[in-house]
Amino acid sequence: MPKPPQPPCTKDKETQLREQQEAEIKRRAYRENKQNARKKVKHARFEEPTDVSPVDLPRKRFYRQRAHSNPFSDHRLDYPNSPDTMDWSKMYPNFYDSELGKMTSKVEIADIGCGYGGLLTQLGPSFPESLVLGMEIRVQVTQYVEDRIIALRNKHAQDDYKYDNISVIRGNAMKFLPNFFYKSQLSKMFFCFPDPHFKQRKHKARIITNTLLSEYAYVLKEGGVIYTITDVEDLHNWMVQHLDEHPLFERLSKEWEDQDKCVEIMYNSTEEGQKVTRNKGSKWVACYRRLPNPEECV
Amino acid sequence: MKHPYQIVIVNKAGTHLFTSVKNTVQVFELASGKKVGEWIDDISPDQVTHQNTQISKKKGEPIMSQPIYNHIRSLLLTGNEEYLVGTTDSDKSTIIFHVDFTGENCLTLSKRQVLAKRPCSISFDAGNENVVVADKFGDVYSIPIDTNEPVPEKELAPILGHVSMLSDVLVTSYKGKQFIITGDRDEHIRISNYPKSYVIKNFLFGHREFVSDLYVSEHDPSVLISGGGDDFICLWHWFDNELLTKVELRDLVEEYLHDGHLPPARFLTEDSKKEISIAKISTLKTDDSYFLIVLVENTRCLLVFEINDDFTVTHNQTITIDNSIVDFSIDESNKRIIASVDTESSQLFEAFKYEQGKFSIDSSLEQSFKSVTDANPFDVESKSDFQQLYYINSMRKRSEH
Ligand SMILES: C[S@@+](CC[C@H](N)C(=O)[O-])C[C@H]1O[C@@H](n2cnc3c(N)ncnc32)[C@H](O)[C@@H]1O
Repeated sequence: MPKPPQPPCTKDKETQLREQQEAEIKRRAYRENKQNARKKVKHARFEEPTDVSPVDLPRKRFYRQRAHSNPFSDHRLDYPNSPDTMDWSKMYPNFYDSELGKMTSKVEIADIGCGYGGLLTQLGPSFPESLVLGMEIRVQVTQYVEDRIIALRNKHAQDDYKYDNISVIRGNAMKFLPNFFYKSQLSKMFFCFPDPHFKQRKHKARIITNTLLSEYAYVLKEGGVIYTITDVEDLHNWMVQHLDEHPLFERLSKEWEDQDKCVEIMYNSTEEGQKVTRNKGSKWVACYRRLPNPEECV
Repeated sequence: MKHPYQIVIVNKAGTHLFTSVKNTVQVFELASGKKVGEWIDDISPDQVTHQNTQISKKKGEPIMSQPIYNHIRSLLLTGNEEYLVGTTDSDKSTIIFHVDFTGENCLTLSKRQVLAKRPCSISFDAGNENVVVADKFGDVYSIPIDTNEPVPEKELAPILGHVSMLSDVLVTSYKGKQFIITGDRDEHIRISNYPKSYVIKNFLFGHREFVSDLYVSEHDPSVLISGGGDDFICLWHWFDNELLTKVELRDLVEEYLHDGHLPPARFLTEDSKKEISIAKISTLKTDDSYFLIVLVENTRCLLVFEINDDFTVTHNQTITIDNSIVDFSIDESNKRIIASVDTESSQLFEAFKYEQGKFSIDSSLEQSFKSVTDANPFDVESKSDFQQLYYINSMRKRSEH
């Protein structure tokens, strides 16, 4: 069907474009401002926070970014050459012993594809003795979470709980987990509302596949748990199928889910999960325990 | 003039030469140059280049991907030399030949297993029961060496996978257990149990650029030698996760690098360095020495080192010829190296013999090489007709500005 003739709207377009540009300039300026604050905190890690550090929470709309990032491309991400060379001290300064020159704890809980970080802010106070890390591939989303954590730390600097055990890092979890974590380092891994990649052709881009599960099993300790939640039934079935098939994982029962506090946190605290609640969507949960290696394997 | 050989293999006894030029596999008696086996891939590339004619959704233009050659990419003899296994680019398959020198043609194709993605490297498990084959998309498959019908490619499930391009795969044993070692474009060397390859043992961290070649010698399976896009190669006690030695190559190879080693034009800057990529690593054991032999892609030299008892490595000799070496193979029995050469002359092979502490050109095979070359079915006008012989450096990651 031929389109009806469009009224000329060059002026509108120009205005639109200008407005878009202005908005982007504003967003960028906001982020730059925050970045400077971030730098200050990062470099002044052993000093008291100065009064320029923001305590107001960052605003999400300044950090918007395209929803999908290609996990196969090599966008020259920064990643450590090996877990030995990873410097965690700037991310968790209160867990760094400057006399011994080493960390007093290792990251134990990882939120893979953490998005805007809602889960981290809930897991942190629930496991104050454990280091919790969010890994996120999108750069601006990661920056948002960094700023959010800085603000929380500043706001709660005088409180018992200081949000000092949560942090975030930009990274592609489908490629580089073994660069960050040692074998058997993690006790919990969260996959909350992962990108569904609906098309058949794109299934290899899903964050749960048979072959990737072997890598997750490598960084998880025996008895460690993989948590998954999604509002896409298809994806839930896919994750269940692949985890069921994998010899190193065993599904945890409904009863177990009901008594586990992380399941509850995961159900309610992530931004994506809250969106699903608002839209009255369904949520599917599946949790799996890391089984011991077969006896003959090392 | 003839097209150069992309693959050359000598069997353990040093009696036969297995070669591949373009889509052809040919086998010769080394002493006489007599052809004893041949196989030609009759799948023409235009039957399978459909993926090049895809139309880009965004721009409505055909997507220009790399041309697919009708090319045999890898070739390997099983340990017992009863089978020769290769991979084709044409239909992305693994080809398995039974080798029997009593017949008219020593090669009988016993299986052609098509894979979903282009295979790039192969190895065999203990007992030579299965070929493990790694593909460009990061997956590894296990294919039985038997005469059963191939299975539909969709039914093949990977035994392990990386979210990265794989470059090499190796099955090896340590204290009676088998392991599978895989190398990828993201600097990773992964060691998994085998056949339970879903249990990852560890990663070897040391490379800063892609990994392209993994080598374990039959003489000492506890040592892995790895190379790729770095200026160095690594020796590992892979089971113990221990880096033994880094062997620096740049100073040794610098004078043999040329403009072909510069980054592609759109990444070229004033301070671009010429780039080193490892094409092949091998070893040769003589009565008193253990030699490490390294080919840097598109150079006219072979770097020869001695591996000492304490795993230090000392440079011993640089073998040079006039033209770039494409591939080489070790003839352990005769303490010889046989290389295929990228040249417009008729000297498509070169042999180097170890005598009195040095490798030097061995002209005793000149006549055989001449008959081998005569049997080469690909006449070409000039170098510009050669298919791409060097592609390892294209694995290097580049940052887009
Ligand atoms: C739909 S969001 C869910 C975010 C968050 N978990 C939540 O529930 O609100 C999925 C997130 O995973 C991130 N992601 C996708 N692939 C990733 C990868 N390979 N490594 C790290 N993060 C990834 C995306 O950028 C996106 O922010």
